[in-house]
Amino acid sequence: MREVEGGKVSGRQLAALLVLTRTMAVTMTFPTAAAVKPPQDIWIVTLLGTLVSVLFVLLVARLGLRSPDKTIIEQAELLLGKYLGKLVGIVLVWYWMSVACGAARELGEAYTVAIMPETPVLVFMVATVFLAANAARNGLEVVGRMGESILWVVLFFAALVLVLPYDQMRFKNLAPVLARGFRPLMLPTGTVVSFFLEFIILGMILPYLARPRDATCYSVYAVLASGLVMTWFAVALVAVFGPALPDLVMPAFSLSRMISIANFFERIEAVTMAAWTLSCVIKLALFLWGCAVGLAQVFGVSRYQSLVYPLGAMTLALGILSFESNPALQRFLRFEVFGVYSLIITVGTTAVLYLAAFFRSRLPLGRGLRR
Amino acid sequence: MALMTTAGCWNRREIESIGFVLAAGIDEAPQQGKIQVTVQIAKPFAIGGGEAVRGAADEKPFWTVSSTGYTVFEAVRNLLSQSPRRPFWAHNRFILIGEGLARKGIRDALDLFCRDGESRLRVWMVVVKGAKASDLLQAEFELERMPSEGGMGLLQGARQGLSTIGEGMLNDFLQRLEGEGIDPIATRAEIVPRPQEFDIRGELKRETIGGSARLTGAAVFKDDRLVGWLNKPETRGFNWVMGKVRSGIIVIENPREEGKFIGLEILGARGGFKPEVRNGKVTVAVKIEADANVGYVQGFIDLLRMPEAWSSMERRMATVIENEVLAAVAKAQELGSDIFGFGAELNRRYPKKWADEFRDRWDEEFRKIDVKVEVKAKLRRTGLTVKSSEIR
Repeated sequence: MREVEGGKVSGRQLAALLVLTRTMAVTMTFPTAAAVKPPQDIWIVTLLGTLVSVLFVLLVARLGLRSPDKTIIEQAELLLGKYLGKLVGIVLVWYWMSVACGAARELGEAYTVAIMPETPVLVFMVATVFLAANAARNGLEVVGRMGESILWVVLFFAALVLVLPYDQMRFKNLAPVLARGFRPLMLPTGTVVSFFLEFIILGMILPYLARPRDATCYSVYAVLASGLVMTWFAVALVAVFGPALPDLVMPAFSLSRMISIANFFERIEAVTMAAWTLSCVIKLALFLWGCAVGLAQVFGVSRYQSLVYPLGAMTLALGILSFESNPALQRFLRFEVFGVYSLIITVGTTAVLYLAAFFRSRLPLGRGLRR
Repeated sequence: MALMTTAGCWNRREIESIGFVLAAGIDEAPQQGKIQVTVQIAKPFAIGGGEAVRGAADEKPFWTVSSTGYTVFEAVRNLLSQSPRRPFWAHNRFILIGEGLARKGIRDALDLFCRDGESRLRVWMVVVKGAKASDLLQAEFELERMPSEGGMGLLQGARQGLSTIGEGMLNDFLQRLEGEGIDPIATRAEIVPRPQEFDIRGELKRETIGGSARLTGAAVFKDDRLVGWLNKPETRGFNWVMGKVRSGIIVIENPREEGKFIGLEILGARGGFKPEVRNGKVTVAVKIEADANVGYVQGFIDLLRMPEAWSSMERRMATVIENEVLAAVAKAQELGSDIFGFGAELNRRYPKKWADEFRDRWDEEFRKIDVKVEVKAKLRRTGLTVKSSEIR
């Protein structure tokens, strides 16, 4: 088999990439904040969603470990045959693309909404996507190392934002817990899970792990770590904003604006923006890399690097054209749209691949087809 | 190379082209249906001060300007036709609301301050009693050149030294507005006219100060409409219940001598309340623990030799606290505004009962609540003297 990508990443780097991917999306728009009614139960929703997502990640990791030297795209071709396999591959690439364009647009929106309202959103998107594409062209190893070092910066910034508004926190706001029972929390839990479904990119990284066996435990660590960060966010947000939380477009940003220590350590929202920009670049780099390598494998292109810039340009175009306004982006990120879309594509493909694997191992014909 | 694209000086703003808003006032405009926005903008060249810039002190370091529009947003933008510098809102400390507008409802007036990226949710909400916000923005303070600094000083003083400021930041206001079973509260300010008894123009050649401001308690809202006021003791009563009393003076009668008073300085307090439902009736048990020092004594008292006077003073202190709390509760019930959040606490404890029985008729129910106050008052120290000086 041709080696499209030759780099290797460690388990910790994998975890870092996944955590950044997950926390960036959620802390920026915090889609659960708008979805949960009453808002004080967000942390329960987040925890539940995290636990459910562990199952999904375990499934993806197990599927990948069936043949640890193949990406999920190559596996699809092996299991489903040439045409069907390529189709599944293209669907996955498309999904990663849409994740990337959502992330790019989110960051651009964050800048335009909060900091520079008169600047066209494209300016910020071009800058980040260009940076990310350059990283992606240098291979997974580079992205992984960037991710590993940036993770600590981002976590430090997150901790700052989560602790420093302590004078505004009223933990009373967290009660009553489960006032209306679990039923109204089902759909919002889906929102939490839907963003974790982006972790299907694990199927792409797995063969490039130094030790593919690490995939299982480190991806579970990643889910739990991001879950904890988000739960912490949920608690802090409810404590500070209480019933006014669902009004906010970027709750975590507003949270950082509440910080004021002794009237001089304040206005540190630039820190939040910096953390988001860093993690967004990593997320974009990872998904552009995934798209490019995936596409290269589907079409048998020998160098995925040449695909990165065109894919980046497409990400930009889609990011601009798909959402005509910020509320349109917010609506897209709700469970009813993005959630269902993610669910169908990721759980759908995983299920199809499992089924195919099941039948291949049962039917003698299947074994013969295996190259 | 990529960094060049990220530098972004698209909407750069030079500091010389912006005017820092220090406080903003919102009123009804004289024209029907219009809103008047008044802002106080810092004059950077007049702040300079010190010996270096001689003559800077001649000028007021701020400029107050009003404009009108059909919405707050339009009025704010209309400022540009009068202000050579674009108002910049990130350093705004106060939103002042005139009584007239406050009585009609201020939700719509606040929208801009929540939505806009420059303004902050930490601004203090102040309602001007019996006047327009634009009048208060003319007030000055003798000890601070910048009125917004003076206002912050009063606020900190009243909060920490008197405990007569309710929870009054915009963020608190919004939460109370949107929360179930709780109503908003803001800081109450009044204008103090200062007729000049003598010429105070000395070295500082600033114009004579025509009026000053005073913080005199809290403004009580029902939904987003102003419905009444708490005076200072009532506001402290409110703060006892919320556990927010930090310091202040309690005056009691000297137990040994009628007509003579003793001043106790509050050291700290804990407070809280617990609503209970019995036979469909809500009772609230307020529990307060307060510590104080004897700070001032009129008449004679020897606290070393009169332990019974000590406990009698503690009882009197507890009575004062209880009366303040009951006064605040009575006023809130009279106004029909649950500023304490009794309903919200009921919801936290008994969400089902709240939803089924009380939520829809909380307005009437709140007025009927029976509030029981239990105060544990403790006196700790007597200052540097333990007995008053005896006249022999």
